[in-house]
Amino acid sequence: MTQIIIHLKVGEVMNGKKQHYRIIPYIFLIPYFFAFITFRFGPSIAGFFVSLTRWNIVGQAKFVGFQNFIDLFEDPNFIKSLTNTLYFMLLTVPALVIGGLLIAMLVDQKLRGRYVTRTFVFMPYVIMSTVVGVIWMWIFDTHFGILNYYLSFFGIKPIAWLSSINWAMPAVAIATIWWTIGFNMILFLAGLQDIPNELKEAARIDGASSWQVFWNVTFPLLSPTTIVVVMLTLINTFQVFAQVYVMTGGGPAMATLTVVQYMYVQSFQYYRLGYGSAIAYIVFIFLVGLILVERSILKKSGDIN
Amino acid sequence: MKFKSVLLVAIATVIFGTLLMAQPLQLAFWGGWTGPDGNVMRQLVAEYNSTHPDVHVTLTTMQWTPLFTKFLIASRGGQSPNILAMHGPDVPEFASYGLLTPLGSVIKAAGFKASQFATAAWNGTFYKGKQYAFPLDLHLNSIYYNRKLFEKAGLTPPTGWITGKEFLNMAIKLTIDKNGKHPGQPGFDPNNIVQYGIALYSLNWHGFLEWYELLRQQGYNFLNPSMTKVGYPLKAGERAWKWLQDLFFKYHVAPIGANSPLQDFLIGKTAMLEDGPWEIPAMKAQKGLQWGTFPIPQVFQHKAVWGSGHVLTIPIRQDQKHMKAAEAFVTWLVKHSEKWALSGNIPAYNTARKFAYSLPGRTGFLAGAPYEAMLPRIPKESEVFSSASVSPIVVAGQDILVRDKAILPVMKWMNEQINAILGR
Repeated sequence: MTQIIIHLKVGEVMNGKKQHYRIIPYIFLIPYFFAFITFRFGPSIAGFFVSLTRWNIVGQAKFVGFQNFIDLFEDPNFIKSLTNTLYFMLLTVPALVIGGLLIAMLVDQKLRGRYVTRTFVFMPYVIMSTVVGVIWMWIFDTHFGILNYYLSFFGIKPIAWLSSINWAMPAVAIATIWWTIGFNMILFLAGLQDIPNELKEAARIDGASSWQVFWNVTFPLLSPTTIVVVMLTLINTFQVFAQVYVMTGGGPAMATLTVVQYMYVQSFQYYRLGYGSAIAYIVFIFLVGLILVERSILKKSGDIN
Repeated sequence: MKFKSVLLVAIATVIFGTLLMAQPLQLAFWGGWTGPDGNVMRQLVAEYNSTHPDVHVTLTTMQWTPLFTKFLIASRGGQSPNILAMHGPDVPEFASYGLLTPLGSVIKAAGFKASQFATAAWNGTFYKGKQYAFPLDLHLNSIYYNRKLFEKAGLTPPTGWITGKEFLNMAIKLTIDKNGKHPGQPGFDPNNIVQYGIALYSLNWHGFLEWYELLRQQGYNFLNPSMTKVGYPLKAGERAWKWLQDLFFKYHVAPIGANSPLQDFLIGKTAMLEDGPWEIPAMKAQKGLQWGTFPIPQVFQHKAVWGSGHVLTIPIRQDQKHMKAAEAFVTWLVKHSEKWALSGNIPAYNTARKFAYSLPGRTGFLAGAPYEAMLPRIPKESEVFSSASVSPIVVAGQDILVRDKAILPVMKWMNEQINAILGR
């Protein structure tokens, strides 16, 4: 958005053809607009109508009104998938946000090896989610995994990381944190580097301790970034799918079954498209809710109009 | 001028028409062979294409679940493949949707009859008395063994069916803790086992299949004769689960909740593995592994082993020309399916199956094939026998074989869930 505004201003200064330059950005947007309508917006609208039907792709769709939504809230597996997803968010979101901020602050210091550290922390993020799942499946193997091997040096008996209902979700959360924390670190790092040093120096000259500088200068100025990071992390973790699918398949005993995975199972393994679409709309409503919360917080903080 | 134009158009039409006629007829063939088996099928297709210049078959492979979703969507849009591979138990579901062409007369015209095929494979092509597919192969469970670990334990690998007791004794001798002790010996430490006797699947739907074959060994079917409800005696089901559960929790011969039984076997951490013939390419690829197979143990009165089989179907909505070409291709493929044995699958066609006897590691599968027990063949197969984590058969297997829960309540819960799906 910032870039578009800059271009408009440049255009005005260069030849004064304000109207002409106002159209140009939209012309650039046309290819994406068509792709968006065809592959995102259109199917999303169609999905709503499908969610009002009972349909197995090949037969005739039968209109059932909001019955799929009613059934969903009486479906123990859906409730289980919803609570599992919220549990996963509880395990990952604080770690990803606070951890990401701490790492960003660390690698923002003028320390030796900070560039290498940034690279290493960010590196897992470029790995495909399925590969992440396979790597951690090996690490977490109960009997022959490397993690239990090292834990045995401390006298810890083998932990059934992926096959125990108590450990499976924390194990998936650990893998997810390792995989995605680098992204949050980068966002925080960009935010930290946007804060003028003069403000911190002024605070220090006034006698503020390091903690006071962080709490009264850095953190408030970092709040727009923090809000974005929190929202993105909430949205991404609510949609967790691939790493769970690879590492546990949703088991054991549905201990790691998530909402998106349940949607996949209903739609593409049981061919219950209407029911699957209803789940998709629940996810959609939740995510829209989160975005609205984000917007209202940003509005209050004055970061958007 | 006018004459010249007409002449030009006529010449162009002739050239274009000739070019069109010279193009081979295109056939789309879809299958779920994403491993080395896909390469074997690709070679067979290439052989057909090179010997039949008037037809060109293109094989598309992807995992079975997305393949079937793709098939449903393609069918909806009138773009079905000309040939679709699936498993015998998948036939009723797609046939009940009206997506498959009945092929009884075609199969008869090709000269095929029941006596020329493995019984389970032939029976797996019918739904409501109509034949919808050509049988291609059988794939069933068997026990893979590590020859070196057997020799080390002073054991001779069996070549035929053995009893449950014999199998258990072998598994105990092959299970060793860090002090070199076996289960049952004084001082044996189940928390520090360095080598297990048998790798069994317990986290996915194979746990249920291991149970299902033991139910069939007692002479019972999973569903009632009309396939509308669960129909086995609870006692028989309990006995089957108990045998499996004891391997994990009483005798400690199988690692609990193993994430990858195949890998554990390949690297020599377990001496035996119960799995299907699709793992044969992985066995061959593992450097230094000397392996073989024997049938699963006969724990109860009868010999029975879970198995399935690939079949070849011809979806509806195609013109006569493509239909005839597809029939010719599938007939050729079944008749030339001896090379398909290289994929690990056991050809269903008797003549072709003979070749499998000359291949290493097939003993267990060939000895087990006559006793193969397929899952009940019902239209709701994808939901009742689903491999998804929410599937009652998967959850029940995990509860009993991983969480050591009391068998009877879990089994009753599983039955209720299955009955609910069947009654929906």
